[in-house]
Amino acid sequence: MQQQSILLLFLVLAGIATIVFVYVYLSSKKTEKSENGMSNPLKKRFWFSLILFVILGIFASVTIPKSPYYLFADENPAMVVHVMSRQFAFILSRKAIDPDKPSGEPIELPVNEVIEFRVTSMDVNHGFAIYDNTHRLITQTQAMPGYVNRLRYKFEHPGKYDILCLEYCGLAHQGMRSSFNVK
Amino acid sequence: MLKNIVFAIIATCFWSIANAQTTAALKEETNIYEKIYNAPLKIVGEQPLTLHERCSRKPLLLALVFTRCSGVCNPFLLQLKENLKFKEKGKSFDVLVLSFDPWDSKNDMQLLAQRYQLENDKQWFFGVTEDIEALNKSIGFQPVWDSVSKQFDHDALLVGINSEGYITKKLIGIRQGHDLDFLIASVNNVFSPTYRIANKNMLLSCFNYDPITGKNKLGFGLLLIALPAVLTVVLLISINFYVRR
Amino acid sequence: MESLKSKKITSIWIIAVFVLFLVSIVLGILMRLNQGEIIDQSPVTFYSNMTTHGLTMIGIWFVAGMAAIHYLLQRYVKTSFTANIIALALTVIGILMLWTSTFIGEFHAAWTFLYPMPFKVMWAAWATPLFLASIAVLGVGWLIWSLSLMAQILKKYSISQAFAWQHFKKNPAVETPPFILISMITLTGVIACLLAAVVLLTLFFAEFFSNGSFVNDALLMKNLTYFFGHTIANEMLYLGLAVIYELFPEVSGRPKWKTTWYVALAWNFTLVFILTAFFHHLYMDFVQPKGLQIVGQLASYFASLPAAGVTIFSVFIAVYRTKIKWSLTNLLFFMGIAGWVIGGLGAVIDATISNNVVLHNTLWVPAHFHTYNAMGNVLFSIAFFYWFSTQSAQNIKIEKYTKLVLAILLIGGIGFLLAFYIAGADSIPRRYSTYPEELSSGATWAKVGAAFATVYLIAILIFFYNISKRCLKILFLRS
Repeated sequence: MQQQSILLLFLVLAGIATIVFVYVYLSSKKTEKSENGMSNPLKKRFWFSLILFVILGIFASVTIPKSPYYLFADENPAMVVHVMSRQFAFILSRKAIDPDKPSGEPIELPVNEVIEFRVTSMDVNHGFAIYDNTHRLITQTQAMPGYVNRLRYKFEHPGKYDILCLEYCGLAHQGMRSSFNVK
Repeated sequence: MLKNIVFAIIATCFWSIANAQTTAALKEETNIYEKIYNAPLKIVGEQPLTLHERCSRKPLLLALVFTRCSGVCNPFLLQLKENLKFKEKGKSFDVLVLSFDPWDSKNDMQLLAQRYQLENDKQWFFGVTEDIEALNKSIGFQPVWDSVSKQFDHDALLVGINSEGYITKKLIGIRQGHDLDFLIASVNNVFSPTYRIANKNMLLSCFNYDPITGKNKLGFGLLLIALPAVLTVVLLISINFYVRR
Repeated sequence: MESLKSKKITSIWIIAVFVLFLVSIVLGILMRLNQGEIIDQSPVTFYSNMTTHGLTMIGIWFVAGMAAIHYLLQRYVKTSFTANIIALALTVIGILMLWTSTFIGEFHAAWTFLYPMPFKVMWAAWATPLFLASIAVLGVGWLIWSLSLMAQILKKYSISQAFAWQHFKKNPAVETPPFILISMITLTGVIACLLAAVVLLTLFFAEFFSNGSFVNDALLMKNLTYFFGHTIANEMLYLGLAVIYELFPEVSGRPKWKTTWYVALAWNFTLVFILTAFFHHLYMDFVQPKGLQIVGQLASYFASLPAAGVTIFSVFIAVYRTKIKWSLTNLLFFMGIAGWVIGGLGAVIDATISNNVVLHNTLWVPAHFHTYNAMGNVLFSIAFFYWFSTQSAQNIKIEKYTKLVLAILLIGGIGFLLAFYIAGADSIPRRYSTYPEELSSGATWAKVGAAFATVYLIAILIFFYNISKRCLKILFLRS
């Protein structure tokens, strides 16, 4: 859903930009020698910049609080899932994972509860990306060696969710995946 | 040859430190965000109440000891007392010291408090519970009774409990300021989307998260990121000076 | 003024860039064909090609911009032919070293060579140090070149004049040409990011030679990598813009553009934004301090302000309802600006952290930066190449099939890019040699992308043929 509106917004804006450029180009073809071009360019420049500034400011202030670092920060997660990434597998477990003897188990998560994923890597940077059962990317975080990233999410629909590695990690990057169920 | 031996010794030390940290780190990651068992408490100087009632008053740092301990309990409590003395955010939580030994009574705990001169401290509370088994299970604490030495063999464990009764963080062993700050922040529900694994010997990091202020302190690494820009300015001025001389 | 020597070396740059561009495009088409399941490469081959494709593209369009700047700078200051030759030699050597490590050594850590991947050796053991050394060689050559050009500017203009600060007052005594201002700003950014590469490579080599006792911090390395990588990719665009400020009015028969207080303000701010926007590559690294993430989003957003309010608007003013003389040069500039704007739209959308959660490392990312390049910066550079090649020749009329070539370019480019954008919005991951079965639309869009990229290639081949023909003539001129 979010991606559809992003694509639509982009295509509309790109379309508008294209039309503007074509219009400006055509205006130069049709013009008479006596015309002086754009009137009041400085004033128009100022207003254009101001409007753009305001639009950007609005988008910034609306979208920044929606960043994943703030999501569900005040809540107690119902469950913690530990994720250990390595070339080329994800290991998921309800218990902390021993890097010397990594082992995981099938994960089943409750629906409509805040879940916290604690994601790290044993070797290179990986990407922990969750896809829902319509194969849409819904959230992600990076897995960086030496650090644990805490990703909180609430799954609103039951079903099977896939995990794909989204940060290029080597020759089997495209096959690195896992999954879990939400009930 | 000597160089190799020295290197091997250093490497072994690092490896064993890293290894020890790993094992503790693993045990600390159990039971997080589970609700602690609602044990009935008998606390010195207070009416009997349950654990959930107690932490709803103020978040708790729960320390598990026993009075006849000749091992880690003494240094553990001493260090904790020292570390907490200088924490400003100390007002936002209480420390509850419970005994996991069924032989300890409320009186024994009162005597313990006196030994540490914490009897009248506004932040420290001492007590016992009848349901120690259930409590231990809910926090993953497994003391082992050694009949030869007549002692419990156990970890030094500090459990952070927020005001809703959830276990937010566990610290195993005698831990210093930074880890303690993290624990205190966690019981006050301050969310940090990340933490570092204390495994490798990393010299140059960007920042060090300071849980007291909730902000990041500059690490040496951050200077390295700013270095190119600084160097460019220096180069700019130097070249200017050199060519216009 | 431009000497014959400098014309010849610029001709060499142009031909070299074109040849490498054609090779890189072919590598890119092979990648899309593999993703479209039309050919079957081993993942190692795919990812080695990917590494080569990315670095070669960034490298050539960076040096193309530098060569253009160097050539035009001679109108204002004396430039160093030695620095140019050194840069050419080291660029060639660096690229050869790079290609050896990827094609022969099968090094495939991607063009970002993100730590610690170069050390997780899944290729020839010698490929890692050779690869790092190749980056070092390229960096040294480019650093020498940038410092030389900056020194030459500073010989004539003081620091405050080069940055046009005197234009903030009324009636400045000295006028800084926009070309000098933008070159100065851009070269400052280039030097900063090359120095970041120096720090990065130093840390890489320190760990390499320490045999394990010195271990780097992955977060620091990632910050340095993107300080270098993002900034150099942006600066190469701004090198193209400097050329536009200088040539667009001239080629169009319009009055020369002058630096005003808002031009000076915009470009000075641009330097700040460019150097801080790179944090937007780390949004999904929650380990990064939140303050830096916000800086990243704000810098990325507001970098568009000076671009739109000053540069793009100036182009509109120069074109709108004016009797402008259109030639292939300014047409390509104009189209490139449009491409730059549209790429910018995709970029600002992605630079929004809450969008980045569902766009990061999908095909949306290559979508927007290929727009900036293939339909933006490449057009700026080809415009300069065309202009340069026709300067020395007589009676050049716009070739009859120009409109056709431009149409082919546009169709090929737009189709190729749309395939990326749509696939990205469809959650198709980037840097996958093949797509999983349930993400089958990825393969479909890859086929579409490959087809349109081939169309684009045809247009580039035509440009290459015409422009290189003229450049070769210049190269073999006696006097």
